[in-house]
Amino acid sequence: MSFALPIALTLAALALPIIALYILKVRLRRVPVSTNLFWKQIYEEKPPRSIWQHFRHLLSLLLQLLLLLFIVLAIADPYFSWQLLQARRLVIVIDNSASMRATDVKPTRLDAAKNGALELIDGLRFRDEVAIVLAGSTPEVVVGMTGHAPTLRDAINGIEFSDNPTSLTTAIELGRRLIGEHPHGQVLVMTDGCVEAVGLTDSDKQALPTDPTTAVADVAEKSASKETPPEQPVENMNEPSPVEYRLFATEAPNIGITQLQVRRSLIDPLGYEILASVKNASTSPVACRLELTLNDIPVDVISLKLKPEELWSRSIEKTTLDGGPLKAVLTQIVAGTVDEIAAAAAENTKVSGSTTSSELDLLSTDNSAWALLPARKTQKVLVVSPGNLFLQKVFEANPLVEVTVRKDFPEQWPLDSIIVLHGPLPATLPSGNVFAIDSIGSCDQWDQGEVLENPIVTDQDKASPLMNHIRLDNVLIPQARQLQFKTPPHSLAKTLSGEIVFAEVKRPNGKCLALSVSLDSSDLAFRTAFPIMVANSLGWFSGTTGELQASVPTGVVTTLAVTTKAANVSLQSPLQKISSVAVSKPSDIESDSSLVTVGPLNEIGLWKLTATGPTTAKKVEGPEIDSLAEVAVNLASERETDLRPLKELLDSPESKTIMAGWFGKPLWFYLIILACVLTSVEWFLYQRRFIS
Amino acid sequence: MLFPSDFLTRLEYLSIISKRVFRGQLLAQRRTMQMGSGIEFSDHREYTTGDDLRYLDWNVYARHGDLLLKRFQEEQDLHVYLMIDCSRSMAFGNPPKFDLARHLVAALAYIALADLDRIAIIAYANGVIAELPVTRGKARILPIMKFLEELPASGEDTNLEKAVQGLLHRGVRTGLAVVVSDLFDEHGFQRGLDQLRYRRFDAHVIQLHDPTEANPALLGDAELVDIETESVRKVTVTERNLKMYKQLFSDHQTAVRDYCHTYALGCTQSPSVIRFDDLIMRMMRASGAGR
Repeated sequence: MSFALPIALTLAALALPIIALYILKVRLRRVPVSTNLFWKQIYEEKPPRSIWQHFRHLLSLLLQLLLLLFIVLAIADPYFSWQLLQARRLVIVIDNSASMRATDVKPTRLDAAKNGALELIDGLRFRDEVAIVLAGSTPEVVVGMTGHAPTLRDAINGIEFSDNPTSLTTAIELGRRLIGEHPHGQVLVMTDGCVEAVGLTDSDKQALPTDPTTAVADVAEKSASKETPPEQPVENMNEPSPVEYRLFATEAPNIGITQLQVRRSLIDPLGYEILASVKNASTSPVACRLELTLNDIPVDVISLKLKPEELWSRSIEKTTLDGGPLKAVLTQIVAGTVDEIAAAAAENTKVSGSTTSSELDLLSTDNSAWALLPARKTQKVLVVSPGNLFLQKVFEANPLVEVTVRKDFPEQWPLDSIIVLHGPLPATLPSGNVFAIDSIGSCDQWDQGEVLENPIVTDQDKASPLMNHIRLDNVLIPQARQLQFKTPPHSLAKTLSGEIVFAEVKRPNGKCLALSVSLDSSDLAFRTAFPIMVANSLGWFSGTTGELQASVPTGVVTTLAVTTKAANVSLQSPLQKISSVAVSKPSDIESDSSLVTVGPLNEIGLWKLTATGPTTAKKVEGPEIDSLAEVAVNLASERETDLRPLKELLDSPESKTIMAGWFGKPLWFYLIILACVLTSVEWFLYQRRFIS
Repeated sequence: MLFPSDFLTRLEYLSIISKRVFRGQLLAQRRTMQMGSGIEFSDHREYTTGDDLRYLDWNVYARHGDLLLKRFQEEQDLHVYLMIDCSRSMAFGNPPKFDLARHLVAALAYIALADLDRIAIIAYANGVIAELPVTRGKARILPIMKFLEELPASGEDTNLEKAVQGLLHRGVRTGLAVVVSDLFDEHGFQRGLDQLRYRRFDAHVIQLHDPTEANPALLGDAELVDIETESVRKVTVTERNLKMYKQLFSDHQTAVRDYCHTYALGCTQSPSVIRFDDLIMRMMRASGAGR
């Protein structure tokens, strides 16, 4: 046996004053009595406090000396040599994914996992080192390798819930890297087993028992083998550290929204499409309602009757000019077969034997989902054309466009309108947004060349938003005009001979598009590509594509484009916490736009970017701040919605390799317990004077 | 001041009460058991040679032929001997037992003097240490109070037997002997009282104790200092010891009571926190109820 603090043994010298004080006369309190007549009779058997009577309290002296011995030993922190040689490096991986909020294990799965981790910390042996790793969407080392139990306890107690998906594999790999090549390393995973796969190595898979009854014996054998001297085979040194799983989950049922996206229709300027998915992750049929609201105004209520394990998914088309947050909520969840539910609905009664919502739906995080619908804004368009009905109608057909048609050039070009020039061109193109279609003549940006006969478009810029959903290669174009640009344009469509027929002209005083295809002689005006091209162009001119602001899953890092001149931009979480974010201004986007990288977004709901607000994270007080940009974050994970743990983890026995509990404490702990017991005995003896 | 200004008033009140309510039942006007030349017939005894023929009951002789001598109870002044324990143990307590003892002695002396009895005060510890000779008349109460006031509780030992022997060696007449003490007598209080009984003293015991003597608040290691002998005893008082002490104290009290009851002695036991006049009244009532 050795001692961590051997100098503490010198405290044993305190035994000398204890013995000396015990033997030597200690001045007693003097109590005058009227007579010793009765006291003499009481103590007449023995002479009171004679020299040998000092040892009458020998038991008390012995207890005090033992008490001192135990305390001194506890301070010296004794340990066995095998403890030193078998000091372990443990990594406790705690899964704090969204599914750990489930309440099938009381109070919650995460709380139970934290309690389990605290028990492990309580059972640490001398010189054991432990690190805590969080298995969120991105693994995070909460505390590095340390043997300081209070630090570990504080770190575990500080772990909070998140709405992130699980990434056990990367967390375990991180844990293994922390352990390194330590011969007694081990990764302990506190999880609910709601993962796609645990990413086990071959040795891990062999360690997982297929039969739980034999597995207990295997683990016990492994535990016994750890008591043997610590010499390890050299060939095992490079093997990855073993992984043990402790499950905090049951086969709990749940129903949740696994997908919610909304986008503007490509065809209908006012239309939008909602994509929603709901998963019944239970073995019983379930009925519920999916309520959709846009800006807190009900949009639709869909009654769902889901079979066991059914994934319901549907695209719903709606129309509105407005944009804003679209929220989907699952309500009125009841159990029962489809027929039972239908019959109960017909009779307006409750399904017999149906369970309540709280029993069917043990995770509330996935009962709500958000998406952002871009708003449509009207645009003013001035068409200057000698007269083309198709061109006029293609703009008039768009309900978001206010069209003004002129045959001649105005005296002053409007600044708030998109100018469509068809036919003759002014010598200088007006500033602002200009769309030249089948123009005649030259201008300051290009010169008109010879007529192209039967050009065939063979090269399209598919990456450009201007060319989305457009194919010009099958459009019959008998005639087009050759344009000789004065500055190199961005080609959007080229002919086989390399002539540009559709281009984005780069100029300092506004955006400009040039389409040289003749509308009168080609069938472009009859094709669906033409209104799509016009719609794309209008969106490009307005600065946004305006179709989709995708909802992102929790835990991701995303980049948002904002238009702001503010140096400080804050990110406001759904729980009203504010944190400052950095703004970058890349050179390849417009001068008034900036890119903001935010994340990981680990809460479901709407996150907002604001240009004002404090720079440190704190709760928002006062009126709401106008947001620069928003992003909707949803759980959107079928595996997190399914609360049932992975089968192979469910079958594994509980870990017994860690000596947790009363028999896993360090030696000093037992010495202190013994000292406390002796103190109690001494106190009892003092009080009752059994020693007298 | 031992005797407050209203002390005499309270004594007078006690005296009146004792005459009206307990007339002839406490001290004075009690007939002595002395047989002699009184006029009140007491009993007969057989005639023996040398007896005075004047007291032969001729009527009995005439009727029955028995020679019986008439005996008469002699009427004489009652001698009251107030024996006060002056050992240091009497100075124990708060208030000290000795204060109550002196109040009691003064009160009893006053009542006796008021009844035209003769009183003597004997202060004793390990023998007689001070004495107020036999005196009579109410006017003597002031010297008595002065004597009591100057009396110290300084005796180093309590020995009632030696004190009684000292009293008897003075050749005093028999009478009423009132012993006021705590009776913490290592030599045994019985032997002193036995002496009084043998000499046909009508004895009355007033035993005082402090409440802390009956129920000491003492536990743990301590040096017990006997304030009488100044002997020190280092002990560890346990609850068991304390229980034994209380039992021994109770046994002592019971022994005093039983002794007095056995030999028809008057006995008054009281804690020292009582007022002296209350205790006197209690004695009077007890005496009246006993007759």
